[in-house]
Amino acid sequence: MKKFLIWAIACCVLCGAPLAWAAESGTLTKNDELKAQPYRDAKTLKALAAGEKISILGKDGGWYKIKAGKSRGWVRMLSVRKGNAKKAASATGLLALASGRNATGKVVATTGIRGLNEEELKAASFNADEIQLAESYAVNQADARKFAAKGKLLARPFDYLPQPQ
Amino acid sequence: MKTKIQWLSLFGFLFLAANCSAFDLRQSLKDKLKVDVPQVNPKLTEAVSVAKEVRGPDETEEIAIGRQISGNLLGAAPLVKDAKLQKYVNQVGAWVASQSERPDLPWHFGVIQSDDVNAFAAPGGYIFVTLGLYRLLQNEADLAGVLGHEVGHVIRKHHLKILQQSQLVEAGSNILSRQVGNDKLQNLIGSGAEIVARGLDKDAEFEADRIGVVLATRAGYDAYGLPGVLQQIGHFAAADNSVALLFKTHPLPDDRLNKLDSAMGERFDSIKGQTLEKRFYRVKK
Repeated sequence: MKKFLIWAIACCVLCGAPLAWAAESGTLTKNDELKAQPYRDAKTLKALAAGEKISILGKDGGWYKIKAGKSRGWVRMLSVRKGNAKKAASATGLLALASGRNATGKVVATTGIRGLNEEELKAASFNADEIQLAESYAVNQADARKFAAKGKLLARPFDYLPQPQ
Repeated sequence: MKTKIQWLSLFGFLFLAANCSAFDLRQSLKDKLKVDVPQVNPKLTEAVSVAKEVRGPDETEEIAIGRQISGNLLGAAPLVKDAKLQKYVNQVGAWVASQSERPDLPWHFGVIQSDDVNAFAAPGGYIFVTLGLYRLLQNEADLAGVLGHEVGHVIRKHHLKILQQSQLVEAGSNILSRQVGNDKLQNLIGSGAEIVARGLDKDAEFEADRIGVVLATRAGYDAYGLPGVLQQIGHFAAADNSVALLFKTHPLPDDRLNKLDSAMGERFDSIKGQTLEKRFYRVKK
């Protein structure tokens, strides 16, 4: 057991990041700042420019731990989009997908065999056993509160967000 | 004290009156006052019934509609046969929904057998997440954010409004005011579970995103679960079959993240929440 713990700690130290995270690529969608810590008032390490490619190393709340060039630090998650921003290339494909047609106007299949496509949903018939089974798992408010307390989840007031202009 | 009793009796009378139908009330007033109560203008009655139609079905009807849609959805994709998973999703969902303004709805949550990445909400509090989406989640806050988005659709009655806009409702509202059989209900919602394959207004999706992060926050979770899941989904190639229906019926993840960024701004900067990664129920690969 002790050996295992030592190994686990060694792994964490070596990786320098939470275990679950493998580095993923990302792109800045707007100008922002690389921070030393994951909060607004933390020291700014350097400016990041829109379009800059980065590696995502971890996550803490609304912040990504990143590597930008040779610097490591934190940036707001919503200033970054995961992936290499090559999506523009597939924009035509996407539009075709949205209309169910490809560029030549031919109707194309939109979902795979194991997926849930519109035809399947349209053709679906009522399954009484399944809906009863689904309803049998219902959790009442008192039990939900107990479940929350076990996870040390504290309810707190927070206003709904206005629609952005 | 005396005035209190007077007030109480007045309330009592009003309560009783409210329970009488309009006709009975008119009749009894007529008897009591011995005067001729004017006939209700027929145009007015018409206006009242139109108003009822605009107001839409009541809660019992709403639940009946949602149950029918959900039964159909389960006809296309049954529940994942993992009782612990289903119970867990109901625990998280019930807690998140209890932070909304409709805590007393009979909320139901489930994970359905499909590799697609998608989630569905039906009126009255029925919410389903596909196994494909569940597998993308990293922790309980992610799940809370996704369920919060769907709870948002239910509490703002987004799908119910679609049904009301369609021709189905004119027939429906009257049919539903009486006891209904499943056939009539089915006519109301169209064919099978097609309603869940129909896209909502973009603004309805953006609104549900904003509600999702707020409900997760109110429930004590990290607010960034839903945005994190959207980042993950945005990573998918648009041509990937598993997100075809999702991308067809929702604004693209990047647009949703842009909108969330503007809406959330710095409002959540001082708010810390739990992710409960350890408690998160993981499905076998």
